[in-house]
Amino acid sequence: MSPWIEHTLPVPVMSSAQQAAIPAPASGWLKDARRVAVFAALRLFALFVTVLIGVYLAILIANMGGRVDDLRMVQIRLSSVDAVREDPAFQAMNDAERNELIERRVQLEVERLRLDQPFILRSFDYLYQAMRLNLGRAEHLHSDSGAREVYSIIVERLPATLLLFGTANLLVFFVSIFVALSLSRRYGSALDRTVIGLAPTSAAPGWFYGIFLILIFAFLLPVLPPGGMVKAPPPEGTIEYALDVLRHMILPVAAMFLSSIFISIYSWRTFFLIHSSEDYVEMARAKGLPSGLVERRYILRPTLSPIITSFALMLIGLWGGAIILEQVFNWPGLGTLMFRAIGLRDTPVIIASVVIFAYLLAVTVFLLDILYAILDPRVRLQGAGR
Amino acid sequence: MNKNILSTVVVVALIAAAVAWFTRSGPSAPEAPATGTEVAQADISGRTGALVDEIVFTQEADVGKITELIEAGSHHVFAQGITNATVFRRMRDSGRAAYDFSYGSTAELSINPAGPRFKDGRINPFHVPAIREALNSLVDRRHIAEELYGGLAVPRFLPLTTAFPDYARLADVARAIEMRYQHDPDGAKRTIATEMQKLGATMEGGRWMHDGVPVRVSVLIRSEDERKRIGDYVANLLEDAGFATERLYRTAEEASRIWIVGDPYAGQWHIYTGAWISLSINRDLAGNLSYYYTPRGRPEPLWQAYKPAPELDEIADRLQRRDYRTWDERQTLMTRGIDLAMKDSVRIWLIDQLNVWPRARNVDLAVDLAGGISGSALWPYTIRFRDRIGGRLVFATPSLLTEPWNPIAGSNWIFDNMIMRALDDPPLLPDPFTGLFWPQRIVDAKVTVQRGVPVIRTHDWLSVDTASEIRVPRDTWIDWDAQAGRFISVGEKHPQGVTARTRTVVTYESDYLDRRWHDGTQFSLADMVLPWILTFERANERSRLYDPSYAPTFDVFQRHFRGWRIVSREPLTVEIYSDQIYPDAEWIVAARAPSVTPWHTLTLGILGERNSELAFSSNKADRNNVDWMSLAAGPSLRILERNLNWAREQNFVPYAEVLGTLMRDGEAAERYAALSEWHRLRRHFWVGNGPFYLHSVHPVERSVVLRRYADFPDAADKWMRFTRPEIPNLELDGPMVVVSGEPVEFDLRITFDDRPYPEQDIESAQFLVFGSAGQLVFKGEAVNAAEGRWRIALSARELERLGTGSNSLEVAVTSRRVALPAFASHAFATVPRPRGTAMTPEPRPRGTAMTPASRTHVAMDRTHASGARHE
Repeated sequence: MSPWIEHTLPVPVMSSAQQAAIPAPASGWLKDARRVAVFAALRLFALFVTVLIGVYLAILIANMGGRVDDLRMVQIRLSSVDAVREDPAFQAMNDAERNELIERRVQLEVERLRLDQPFILRSFDYLYQAMRLNLGRAEHLHSDSGAREVYSIIVERLPATLLLFGTANLLVFFVSIFVALSLSRRYGSALDRTVIGLAPTSAAPGWFYGIFLILIFAFLLPVLPPGGMVKAPPPEGTIEYALDVLRHMILPVAAMFLSSIFISIYSWRTFFLIHSSEDYVEMARAKGLPSGLVERRYILRPTLSPIITSFALMLIGLWGGAIILEQVFNWPGLGTLMFRAIGLRDTPVIIASVVIFAYLLAVTVFLLDILYAILDPRVRLQGAGR
Repeated sequence: MNKNILSTVVVVALIAAAVAWFTRSGPSAPEAPATGTEVAQADISGRTGALVDEIVFTQEADVGKITELIEAGSHHVFAQGITNATVFRRMRDSGRAAYDFSYGSTAELSINPAGPRFKDGRINPFHVPAIREALNSLVDRRHIAEELYGGLAVPRFLPLTTAFPDYARLADVARAIEMRYQHDPDGAKRTIATEMQKLGATMEGGRWMHDGVPVRVSVLIRSEDERKRIGDYVANLLEDAGFATERLYRTAEEASRIWIVGDPYAGQWHIYTGAWISLSINRDLAGNLSYYYTPRGRPEPLWQAYKPAPELDEIADRLQRRDYRTWDERQTLMTRGIDLAMKDSVRIWLIDQLNVWPRARNVDLAVDLAGGISGSALWPYTIRFRDRIGGRLVFATPSLLTEPWNPIAGSNWIFDNMIMRALDDPPLLPDPFTGLFWPQRIVDAKVTVQRGVPVIRTHDWLSVDTASEIRVPRDTWIDWDAQAGRFISVGEKHPQGVTARTRTVVTYESDYLDRRWHDGTQFSLADMVLPWILTFERANERSRLYDPSYAPTFDVFQRHFRGWRIVSREPLTVEIYSDQIYPDAEWIVAARAPSVTPWHTLTLGILGERNSELAFSSNKADRNNVDWMSLAAGPSLRILERNLNWAREQNFVPYAEVLGTLMRDGEAAERYAALSEWHRLRRHFWVGNGPFYLHSVHPVERSVVLRRYADFPDAADKWMRFTRPEIPNLELDGPMVVVSGEPVEFDLRITFDDRPYPEQDIESAQFLVFGSAGQLVFKGEAVNAAEGRWRIALSARELERLGTGSNSLEVAVTSRRVALPAFASHAFATVPRPRGTAMTPEPRPRGTAMTPASRTHVAMDRTHASGARHE
């Protein structure tokens, strides 16, 4: 039997024969440790294979199975022609000389981008490097400070993304959890009905609210900056700098908060409502336990696994940022970077983004598997504890 | 209870304080000028260098915000041309925003001429030149310009950009051809019908049929911009003309695979909505015919399908090889070539698009007629607040620090280059309205060209003469010995001697070498010679600076380079020999005159590349897996700093055998010390000599700060005359009815800002008279009669030739101050002479026309051109 985790509800009552079959504690501990090790190894292997397949698929899709090479060849040719025709130094050349120069430039670019190698070979090289987390060099992009290492490009943008999206998402997450928990106890109240009524407003994305917020707070009553991460030029003192960044975060965070908060509260509230009507919760209430205690011990504790799952996925969802919102607020995040990378077909940057996300997701899933077992005593390795 | 109230008050107070702080000053960077002095009328006399104290560049790609940012006072200039009509209207209605126009983008229809049949057997009607030519009259260019482009375009008929000098020089020819190809859908349909019938097609139920199936035209339509509407418009016209159409909406990449790379004989498309861009004023468009109409233009399959008439092919070839001996011969070839190109019509030129460059109403700067603000070389010399001297000015650019900055092979992005132009001071600067160069750091230039090479001179700051043979002196440097580290002279390399097609002698200002770099160090000849050494070193395979990506460019350079030498040090005079020819002598001087680059900052880069830590070019950086060098920001700075420390310790002079003799005593130590201090203060290594210095760079925050260089030597108003394009304003007066056989005169007033336009600045004022059928009957030159007044006299005999009916007098005026020609037209009727009257002897005195005079105001084709600047 494969040692996959599964929820074993309800906990079966062991017969006396089964109880007799329980091994001695020492050997049982070793057996459990071995089982956990085997589980972890197999789980990691499965996740690795998943990442491998996912990344290779991303490489194939990002390059359209190699067809992107044709597009890039056309772009190289067009940009070489434009560059030569626009350069006054070459204006006195005749057509033959100019075309020869263009051809040489095209050839240099083809060699630089290794387009003279078959795509299938390059695709496996991309995969090999990506799986080793050797992110390599971008083909077109640079970091803001001028480095071409993909690692530098991503790391440079990461803090801005984490700061903005982390703040907004954490705010949305915790506010919605606590408001939802409260609403689940005030089911049908005016506030509850208001939240339900406002939930459809989340159909509009954050950037949509952002445009209105900019219009109102940056242009009509000019009290907040319309975009950017810090004013230009940036303040020299650290505290002034930090405060200025906070000031620039107000509108984008508000836009994301407005676009997500009501639907998030609504879904958590529904989730908590379902759990609030469990028999053991009703029993606790009937016993006259304080409502705070009921919430913490009888509602939150059993639902911790999905909450943690949602939280973890939210955290890794920060990776990538949000393309349009970053554009609207001129925020130097990963979303804009990816947008440019896709536009320029900068394969190393695209692959790096995918492989990092894939690894983050795999690690998160693995950690969640372990966390489930810690958080929920009902979760056991299949075959264990019987 | 009291405690609760107290805590509530404290919390509220804290929140209020936080809100007040956060919202204290509204949008970013709207701060008051740092040191601006408010004056009613800016008095700039006595001030040198830039007219503002600080310029902050910040990134803003959203054009929709620009008007609001300008109105909020947070930004003053937007360095990207806007083509969106909605944004333009918003800006036009703004009280605080103003704008300038530039030209440079062109939309056209590329026609697939493959045929007569495609590979699948379908007939291609557009293989017939007459059908292609008829499309010129089928499309209504004015509709495209005014409706589809919302007024942000002007009609264009010819393979000449309407804002560039060649169009102005051929204005009379252009006008005649444009009249011939005016919008005439019925005439176009008749021509198409005739030709289709010759192909064996029949019209059935309003649809052209061939081989029993409808003739289907595939229109390949670019979907990202206004060309989508052009494509739909053209497809509708073709349907009206009886064709079935297929509309293929594609992005740039998708379309280029079809129209550029694809085989035209595959018949995937018939018409493509193409566009072309020019970022600077191109004064010589003679190569356009070869590029756009012959297989020589480009190696791609579409070009190889072109079959120009032999005469067009020959003319195009001669023009692109500059195979003519006089300017008149060139113009004759151009005239005939353009005429044949219109008959060939593998391209239907539609419009020249206008780019709108936004700025605050109280800001002035020179805007290039082709490149706009980002392409303007004079913007740093002219930018100012109208109502004050000094102050801080905020530029928004769509991208910033896009690629690493270094002076050898650094970023070529227009927005990066725009900033770099403010940091350097070249020997010559281009006129933003004509593309001709003016001297900035030189006092004299003498150009000698081989006899028979057609070169024209427009300005009088230089001289041009000819010689039957130009021999290069034996002591002229022509090559570089990388091993020995010395120049190779002509005498060594070519013992038998060598000749050149041009010699250019450039004399710099007497105090040129006394000037100082931004770090306070004095110029030296090494600053001029080191870039020349690099020109050769980077192409030498045995050098550690060898860069394969530079080799093709160097090969082109070497093909025409014939040597240079320093003739004198006081004043600095340099002589350069070359086989490369530009039609304008001013361009020859600009291309030849050496400029300076601080040798001590270049040295740090040379050390970085020699040590395989950095590379000047992107290509070499990728090949060597190192960083592309930036003197302004990024990981390069650490390496450059280390190199600086080493060079300072060693008192290192690169290529010491040559450069050591060109330096002052102690120059190296002085330079390195100054650069160390510069780096300590500014945290970068970009040292220039322009009107601004690079104060600080904030790559992650996307901002760059420039500050005024106080020691810049020139008067602040040196280039102020270039902040407005002086496009002539025309008013044409004359009778509306004239008697056939009677002489008549028309008055032409040429003004600018209601002041007479100086006669010496009028290059030509040509007139054309079109008869009642729209045919050109005769043309001539208007004669200057008084200040700002010109006279057009038509003799009795000329009027006789016109016959009776309605006629049109067209005037095309070209100025030496601006490349844009101005047009005016006047309609008049010729009526038969009353019976029994004798022919009046000519010339008839002015003002005695028999019919009442009327004033005809300018009928401008380019409504915006009449004022390229809008407040």
